[in-house]
Amino acid sequence: MKKTLAIVLAIVMSASLAACGGAPPAAPADDTPNVEAAPIAEAPQAEVVEEGGTITVWCWDPAFNLYSMEEAAKVYKQINPNFEIDIVETPWDMIQTRITTAATANQLDTLPDIFLCQDNAFQKNVINYPEVFTDLTDSGINFNDFAPAKVEYSVINGRNFGVPFDNGTVINCLRTDVLEEAGYTIADFTDITWDTFIEQGKDILTKTGKPLSSTIAREPDLLMIMLQSTGASLFNTDGSVNIVNNDELKAVLTTLMELTTSGVNIEVNNWDEYITSFVNGSVAGTINGCWILGSVQTAQDQSGLWAVTNIPKLNTPGATNYSNNGGSSWAVSSSSQNKDLAIDFLANTFAGSVPFYETILPSAGALATYLPAGNSSVYEQPQEFFKGQKIFSDITAFAGRTPSNITGAYYYEARDAVGVAMNQIIGGADMETALKEAEDTVIFAMN
Amino acid sequence: MRKNKLAMSGRHDLTGWAFLSVASLMIVWMNFYPMIKAFHLAMQTGTGARMRYAGLINFQRILVDPTFKETLGTTFLYLIIQVPIMLIFALILASMLNSPTLKCKGLFRTAIFLPCATSLVSYAVIFRQLFALDGYINVVLVRLGMLEAGYQWLSYTWSARLVIIIALLWRWTGYNMVFYLAGLQNIENSIYEAARIDGANALQQLTKITIPLLKPIILLTAIMSTNGTLQLFDESFNLTNGGPANSTMTMSHYIYRTSFQLSSDLGYSTAMAFVIFVLVAVLALIQMKVGDKR
Amino acid sequence: MKKTMKNLKSFLRYVFLITVSFFSVFPLYWMAISATNKNVDVIRGTLMPGTYLVENFKTLIDQQNLGGALVNSFRNSIVLTVISLLICSLAGYGFEIYHSKAKDRFMGVLLLAMMIPFAAIMIPLFTMFANMKLLNTTIGFILPTIATPFLIMLFRQSARSFPRDIIEAARIDGLNELQIFFRMFIPTMKSTYAAAMTITFMAAWNNFLWPRIIMLSNDAVTMPMLVSNIIQGYVTDNGMLMLAVLITTIPTVIIFFILQKNFAEGITGAVK
Repeated sequence: MKKTLAIVLAIVMSASLAACGGAPPAAPADDTPNVEAAPIAEAPQAEVVEEGGTITVWCWDPAFNLYSMEEAAKVYKQINPNFEIDIVETPWDMIQTRITTAATANQLDTLPDIFLCQDNAFQKNVINYPEVFTDLTDSGINFNDFAPAKVEYSVINGRNFGVPFDNGTVINCLRTDVLEEAGYTIADFTDITWDTFIEQGKDILTKTGKPLSSTIAREPDLLMIMLQSTGASLFNTDGSVNIVNNDELKAVLTTLMELTTSGVNIEVNNWDEYITSFVNGSVAGTINGCWILGSVQTAQDQSGLWAVTNIPKLNTPGATNYSNNGGSSWAVSSSSQNKDLAIDFLANTFAGSVPFYETILPSAGALATYLPAGNSSVYEQPQEFFKGQKIFSDITAFAGRTPSNITGAYYYEARDAVGVAMNQIIGGADMETALKEAEDTVIFAMN
Repeated sequence: MRKNKLAMSGRHDLTGWAFLSVASLMIVWMNFYPMIKAFHLAMQTGTGARMRYAGLINFQRILVDPTFKETLGTTFLYLIIQVPIMLIFALILASMLNSPTLKCKGLFRTAIFLPCATSLVSYAVIFRQLFALDGYINVVLVRLGMLEAGYQWLSYTWSARLVIIIALLWRWTGYNMVFYLAGLQNIENSIYEAARIDGANALQQLTKITIPLLKPIILLTAIMSTNGTLQLFDESFNLTNGGPANSTMTMSHYIYRTSFQLSSDLGYSTAMAFVIFVLVAVLALIQMKVGDKR
Repeated sequence: MKKTMKNLKSFLRYVFLITVSFFSVFPLYWMAISATNKNVDVIRGTLMPGTYLVENFKTLIDQQNLGGALVNSFRNSIVLTVISLLICSLAGYGFEIYHSKAKDRFMGVLLLAMMIPFAAIMIPLFTMFANMKLLNTTIGFILPTIATPFLIMLFRQSARSFPRDIIEAARIDGLNELQIFFRMFIPTMKSTYAAAMTITFMAAWNNFLWPRIIMLSNDAVTMPMLVSNIIQGYVTDNGMLMLAVLITTIPTVIIFFILQKNFAEGITGAVK
């Protein structure tokens, strides 16, 4: 009964937010306080914890992570009134610097109780600084409630060290008006292969003059997205480097070259320019983690023209139309004086409260990988900007089908090296030679 | 009497040491002491609680690290091209602004100095936008007919390096100019008058009068610029992020990457930082030997 | 004929200087314009002033602790500048006025400190400051850069032009050595202090590497940290970002404007 009320309220909320359309997405926090609080107070799964205390949290992005944390605190306060939270806005590279510094200087008590960690860097940090992290495997958190590919990022040797949070599921956003101009619909771009994508893309380019996507020149983002969609990684399960003999990687490189030389994808100089390319309408789409939706919706004048679908797949065995790019998970610091409280807090919010996710989705666009939330009716809300498409439930469905990726301690080294190889190959170098060099670079870093 | 004077000078000497003691102690405590600690770190390998003594392994590794060699080359390229151009350009600007017939000196001086007061974040954003595919540089070059279509400035090794050099020139020329301008105010205008009567042209005045008389200050700016360029981090990190393919990455940027972005190896990063320290010290020594000849 | 040549030369000189000035000022102009526009227009690269300044300001103070960061930055930078100028000028004066061979050599050793990359000593410094419980404090912020070889050098060079007769006269008048420094040297070297003040304040205000590892609490955030917070989100509000950057830039520009005339003279003193 109470739960229904929460959902109804959340829907009203999202409707009212949609109604005021052009409102800046930055400051929704003040509009929401009484929505989620009351119903969760007596939520059935809540156990009363007597212990009070203040939890310090480090995370970045006020409109997204900080906001979600604040809402989670409000939810948990209903269960545990003695609970206080101190959220310190800290960019990721600053968190990384401080983890490294604190661990090396043996000053672990300078770290907060909970911090947010980039998924790609999660295993690296646990492997390098195990003393910083708390093993959450037996904490009572049910990790099966999360998308498996997502959980995998914070699992080391079969132990869980992170509570998954935001979703990095890759989506293909396309401008339907441009597609229609050339005689296509979004269905023509759903469940397709890259060959079809390029073929149709060429046609659209000829008819409308618009490329279908843009990438930052020389950055391997799309390469990594495509590679993960094939189910392959830059490492083998035993941790050894998998570059020279990686057939999927070679297929990805070949496809990427074709994509760019055909003009279907244009290269830009940097991130700002990348955002500008679709906000300006000079390209008809973009492929990236679903967090890109916030930037896509910057151009309010394009409302109703966009659609979201899955990405094309490669022709390699086991390849899928799904991938992941970015995202982050919560870690509990081992030096925390309130470890039990911190874990209980996460267990009852990020890892246990559907109403919580129902609150943060409409107001912050914070899309979770918490699977029970995916069945919620809030996720079924049609989105005006996307012509009434139910993009959130679509994306949650994609998340469940994404192959997992092996990151390990040397993910960034491998990614950098492959990025260099990609540039050499674009510059005309032989693929085998370039990949050999990349593999050697990673092996050098690992020794 | 003589003895008395000696005693005086002994006390005199001690007073001097007292004057410089606070600042010196702070430098020793805040720079040299941590540096000794850092050297200890440079002899270790591993992460976090599992650091162990490794002797000179990190230094041996530097010798065979291709990425370090590449960043070393790139950094020296910036040093060799950018520093002389910047200092000469600053000198020319200073000479022009020193001309007694010039109007609105203060205005020009302020305008040209402003870039170094600009916050790094803003100028990085602005430079990236200026050199974007449809940025103003491309628009202007296309309109002038020098380019057929927009050029991907930051996507090719040499043009990306060029952008970094331009950014450095933009940011620091005015800063150095002010030092020269100040120095020039010390040179009597009558020296130039006499030279002009003797038929010396502008270039001769610059090389025969200005440069010799400004030598101490040119030395100071040269050492500072060398130091700044060898420790260059901001432009590499914020403008190109080292790319394309690490070809614009500086040594300091690589140290930052190995410390905090890659699977961190702080012993190795610290060893590389010591290499930079030695390089700067040696170059400063050479500059002082060459520049301080009287 | 000769006159036209001269006029042409003079004209070309102005054209050149105006061009250089234009390129120097243009990015600042762009920054100011962007601060008045909304995100989507900044992304689209408009060069016209917008009407979104107030809106950007509201978003900024809503999301970020602007007041706190400004207070912290001003407090840290001012305290650092005052103490640093005092002890470095004392040292520079000591090196020059009580000149000896041993001191010259010692100065050479101190100069080495200028060449230490900060990345090398960051971890040991962090250990020291964490043990001394100086994290999140102004003292923690100022100590590592409170004495710099460059400033000592600057004051040493300028003390060279300080007339020795004044010192002798003051001694005969019964002033002690410290009194001579405070009553004679500081007032005479006003311009050197102005130059040093600009440089030191600018460096302290823009310092980012050190505060980002020792300023761990919300209350200790400085302006450069605030700006870096804004860039981290999935969606960057560029109008607000440019406003924050503008606010970060203004204090250094104002200080330069006030001191720039002295600045030039101050370095002059140092060269003599």
